[in-house]
Amino acid sequence: MSRFFLFQSLALLLPVFVAPVRGDDVADLAERIDRLIEGRLLAEKVVAAPVADDAEFLRRAYLDLGGRVPPSSRVRQFLAATDSNRRRRVVDELLGGSLYVVHFSNVWRKALLPETQADPQTRVLVPGFEGWLRQKLADNTSYATMVREIVTVPLTPTGTPRELLRPDNRPSPLAFYQAKQIKPENLAASTARTFLGIRIECAQCHDHPFDHWKQGEFWSFAAFFAGMERQGRGGFLAGIREVTERRELAIPGTDKKIGPVYLDGSKPLPTQARGGRQLLADWMITSRNPYFARAAVNRLWAHQFGIGLVDPPDDFTADNPPSHPDVLDLLATEFASHDFDVRFILRAIAASDVYQRTSRRTDPSQQNPRLFSRMAVKGLSPEQIFDSLAQATGYVPTAADRQPADPGQPGSPRSEFLELFSDESSRPTQQRTTILQALALMNGDFVADATSLERSRTLGAVATFPALATGERIEALYLAALGRRPRERELKRLVGYVDAGGVTRDSRQALGDVFWALLNSSEFLLNH
Amino acid sequence: MSCFSRISRRQWLGLAAAGAIATPASGWFGRVASAAAVSRRRSCILLWMSGGPAQTDTFDMKPAHANGGPFRPLLTTVPGLQFSQHLPRLAMQAEHLAVLRSMATKEGDHQRATFKMRTGYLPQGPIHYPTLGSLLSKELSDGASPLPGFISVAPYRFLSPAAFGPGFLGPEYAPLVVGDGNPVPMPQGAAADYSQALRVQNLRQPAGINTARVDARLGLLEELEADFGATRPDVPAASHRSAYRQAVRMMRSESVAAFTLDEEPAGLRDAYGRNRFGQGCLLARRLVERGVPFVEVSLNGVDGQSPLGWDTHQDNFATVKSLSSTLDSGWATLLEDLHLRGLLESTLVIWMGEFGRTPIINANQGRDHFPNAWTTVLAGGGVRGGQAVGKTSADGTEVSDRPISTADLLATVCGALGVDAERQNMSNVGRPIRLVDPEATVIEGVVA
Repeated sequence: MSRFFLFQSLALLLPVFVAPVRGDDVADLAERIDRLIEGRLLAEKVVAAPVADDAEFLRRAYLDLGGRVPPSSRVRQFLAATDSNRRRRVVDELLGGSLYVVHFSNVWRKALLPETQADPQTRVLVPGFEGWLRQKLADNTSYATMVREIVTVPLTPTGTPRELLRPDNRPSPLAFYQAKQIKPENLAASTARTFLGIRIECAQCHDHPFDHWKQGEFWSFAAFFAGMERQGRGGFLAGIREVTERRELAIPGTDKKIGPVYLDGSKPLPTQARGGRQLLADWMITSRNPYFARAAVNRLWAHQFGIGLVDPPDDFTADNPPSHPDVLDLLATEFASHDFDVRFILRAIAASDVYQRTSRRTDPSQQNPRLFSRMAVKGLSPEQIFDSLAQATGYVPTAADRQPADPGQPGSPRSEFLELFSDESSRPTQQRTTILQALALMNGDFVADATSLERSRTLGAVATFPALATGERIEALYLAALGRRPRERELKRLVGYVDAGGVTRDSRQALGDVFWALLNSSEFLLNH
Repeated sequence: MSCFSRISRRQWLGLAAAGAIATPASGWFGRVASAAAVSRRRSCILLWMSGGPAQTDTFDMKPAHANGGPFRPLLTTVPGLQFSQHLPRLAMQAEHLAVLRSMATKEGDHQRATFKMRTGYLPQGPIHYPTLGSLLSKELSDGASPLPGFISVAPYRFLSPAAFGPGFLGPEYAPLVVGDGNPVPMPQGAAADYSQALRVQNLRQPAGINTARVDARLGLLEELEADFGATRPDVPAASHRSAYRQAVRMMRSESVAAFTLDEEPAGLRDAYGRNRFGQGCLLARRLVERGVPFVEVSLNGVDGQSPLGWDTHQDNFATVKSLSSTLDSGWATLLEDLHLRGLLESTLVIWMGEFGRTPIINANQGRDHFPNAWTTVLAGGGVRGGQAVGKTSADGTEVSDRPISTADLLATVCGALGVDAERQNMSNVGRPIRLVDPEATVIEGVVA
């Protein structure tokens, strides 16, 4: 019964997929999102927070789409701009640039290969996978095409087993298979969770008490990967081979062999001369499968807001309904009708008032974060923290900083940060700071250098540039770290502090104290 | 409220730790009773043996069988209980040890077995299970110590990092890691006493910045925080402030003297062993003394050699002999020292690795991975010492009496610590997960 419940809305969704009338699709979708979100706020008697000012918006857009804080030159330029289209323009500029490609290859890699967070053995796979992601993102390849490539990538092009670890790190999605240990059950569970938002893995061992999937359903879904074979004895460097015509899988611990069945209960036609994975892709990656588009847009929404419409974002069960089913369906429909264009969805979300609201609580009714009445405060990923620190302090990354971290070796500054700030609980709105992180930021070498007159590029330039008033120097530090100008009260207080020379009776050193405080502040270390 | 007024602040904290506050419906009186048990605060020291130690050459000797190998058994202070000849000082402490000889687990792969033994669960899909130290320190902390509740000395995390982290409990419960667990060259010269190697990173203010200046900086920071936090009542912002407060509190507390091992008499430091593990055991005592509820010390290898020292596929006997010597000094001195200071009865010491090793000796004079029948040890607080629990067959290849699962062991650990093993934490997938798998049974006769 369960699967029919889950998929019953499939038919209802079909008529919606007609070509829409094209105008300004982005503005149009943003407005429809706003209307739905605001309708709900009205019904719940919640007052929406006002739209953020330009500085707050710019910093947020940079962190979400570019993975780091904006350079202060860009902030100055943006704050001086007066055209009404400036927010749309900066989003387009970000989505067309290399920061987006690098940041999103990291975001997608964490979503598709969560194993690389926890298991350093799989980290050697990161360069090839991210390289592949970067190509796809730079070309703005349709999400459907991207997923089809992952699900159907040929494993045995010449009939010989394929070594996964190739010395040249050629771009390839093969890491997906190695990270799931080339096991049909792992691949099935990950495929369902990652691309459909459906968790079936608990049914692997037993009929699940909370959920609807039965053990048989799990293994018949896994049977689409029945042809997988790894060569040799389970070693990490094993090659993969695939027997494409094999369709049956034995449930471990039983003699029962089971053939492939889709999650909606239908079966592939027995005569089809396609491999199991092709058959799976044919069914999964289509606008007729509502879960595919919904899971993807929900992930993008969760990326932009820190909270999914379905939350946790990869748990689409009957017990975990979306906060706004109408917004989810709208986005899914638009995503499918725009050929699964990720940038289109990101543009539309970024153009909406919901996304552009301030993170300040402006009314006591703004309690429930799932109503999106104000922007949530999100923790930064380890990469965002380091790259923002580097941006703000003028640190020039070394070659070692660009290598994937090797936990067995003493690291580059970047890899040390990535390790110190890694967070497996991975809920950006629930992210917590550790004592070690605070100690590293307060006392560690990186920030010590960044706030040293001799060793910091940003501070050195700001403190020594001739003919600047103290207020202008302080403003320059604020723009670099917080992406905004100091408020009048802050300026007054800090000009007093710096002119008096702080504890050291030295104005330049006192500027270093100000910069230290800015870099250690939650306003700098969080996305808001 | 009338029954509440008789509860002290300490009990109140204990009550919070026991979860009574979050579950008011379950009846005040029953909960207060269990809170009283918890308020007898205990600490736990985990001695983690990376690689999987050979039970046949340590605590489950088979002198009458070819599988027994060359080591001779040694009588201990407890009649009938024998250890390896290479653990002579522990033999003198046998009255404190409960030797669990019938561990029967299933995982024979380092990564999976490490995860299972250290979290109680197998890695499963998207659930990030927390490591034992995170789980137990969360239960045992009373928030009074300026030091974090979970300190990990020299862990080797490379093979199974998730087994060493706080998982879904989040970074608040992450270990404070001191010392490098990777294979590194032996410290030379002045560094050879490990005073520096076991320090907390970044605990001192940067060179050239004095305390007055740190105060001035913190003053500026506080103003920024007050502004930002006033209108943003979100978890990440609140947690940032609390972590900074705790970090400053720790930097300035006298408790950080725990890390200054130089304060100890040279003779005692020698007795612990002048190596990473021995000095780590000494540090563990100093931390427990200052109220830290969970400390783990890894014995990865005799210094600088192998990160999985107990993984003796080759040359088992020479390696186990030398590891035993390091283990014997560190652990036995720790027990004596805790005992002398009156801390042993409130401190549980766990000795375990990820699995045991084959009783059959392979062609390279080695022993291979063996989860079927192996040994762990509980000692000290909450444990009825001076006994062996369970038996293996004469050749050591199977458990012949009272098989113990990973979950049984962990439930017993909870019992010895006065922690409710059925307590639940909310996981990252939105489902509550018990401290220990509910199918576990506490091993009979072990909890004092």
